[in-house]
Amino acid sequence: MTLSARLLDSIASAAIREGLADAVYTRLDTPIGKLLIVQGERGVVRVGFPDESVDALLAQVAGRLGPRIVASDRELATTRDVVSAYFDGVDERLDLPVDLSLVRSDFRRSALSLLRAEVGPGEVVTYGGLAAKVGRPKAARAVGSACATNPVPIIVPCHRVLPGGGGVGSYGGGPELKRLLLAHEGATVG
Amino acid sequence: MSSVALPPFWSLVEVHGDELLVHARRMTGDANGEDVLQDALLRALRAYPRLRHAEHLRAWLYRVTTTTALDHIRSRRREVLTDEPPAAVAEPEHYDDAFESIIGALPDGTKDALRLRFVEDLEYECIAARLGCSTVAARQRVSTAIRTLRTQGIAA
Repeated sequence: MTLSARLLDSIASAAIREGLADAVYTRLDTPIGKLLIVQGERGVVRVGFPDESVDALLAQVAGRLGPRIVASDRELATTRDVVSAYFDGVDERLDLPVDLSLVRSDFRRSALSLLRAEVGPGEVVTYGGLAAKVGRPKAARAVGSACATNPVPIIVPCHRVLPGGGGVGSYGGGPELKRLLLAHEGATVG
Repeated sequence: MSSVALPPFWSLVEVHGDELLVHARRMTGDANGEDVLQDALLRALRAYPRLRHAEHLRAWLYRVTTTTALDHIRSRRREVLTDEPPAAVAEPEHYDDAFESIIGALPDGTKDALRLRFVEDLEYECIAARLGCSTVAARQRVSTAIRTLRTQGIAA
């Protein structure tokens, strides 16, 4: 594509200003590769790892928020800065509005909300421990599914949820990435 | 939200943006092409969730761009020549009607060529087959038709 970046920015900004965009996305270079960040009116709705298909992720968002999806680094400048600050180790709180509307059940939504609210950078929790926090101490497996299908990884920190029996367990971006993020945050993994 | 699975709008812009800019420039001149394309894509965005099917989206974008280019040519002409108030801009859902009325005055053969290109979204090889002429002739017929439209827009 050879349309100038200036023209594309201008079109995307005009669309957003006129309320014509259902969602906006940006691709951000980070130490773990190019992340896809998709933001709707209410907050970040999807984060995609470098090895995930951008088309498939955007189609998923389109199915939920609507097909009027545009790209703009400029309109998502604040979001980009906050995520970059996390990877730079400047500010690891990732204080951004999040929209969990791609999460399919209320239980999963409450597990992910609680995880984000209560388990900060440098901390970890077990699947069972998070289940207990949600008030369903026997639902460790369901918490595992909530983490496995987390549409907003990194910002909703499912990498901080570990198996009770030790190790880092599985992760959407691969166990190596999970280990790396935890090390970056200074968490101790057994 | 739309009931059909429409692709994310920006993927259409990425795939077809270049050729739409060429088309907008061809109709309104190099200096205006980008403005016209921006206007056309915003109009397309307004109408997008109301599309009833996800087929021939490229041809649809061509029609919206053509309509927008002609509106642009007409309003520029009006600014220069008269004080008459601008005609109502076609509602997004009526772009197809607007396209038909724009090409309505052209000779039948020319209309057919434009419809095959911008409604049925055919490549020039297929247009040639449908019109029973060579690919070069088909390309020429479409490009002559666009030139005629442009002059008509200016003369309107």
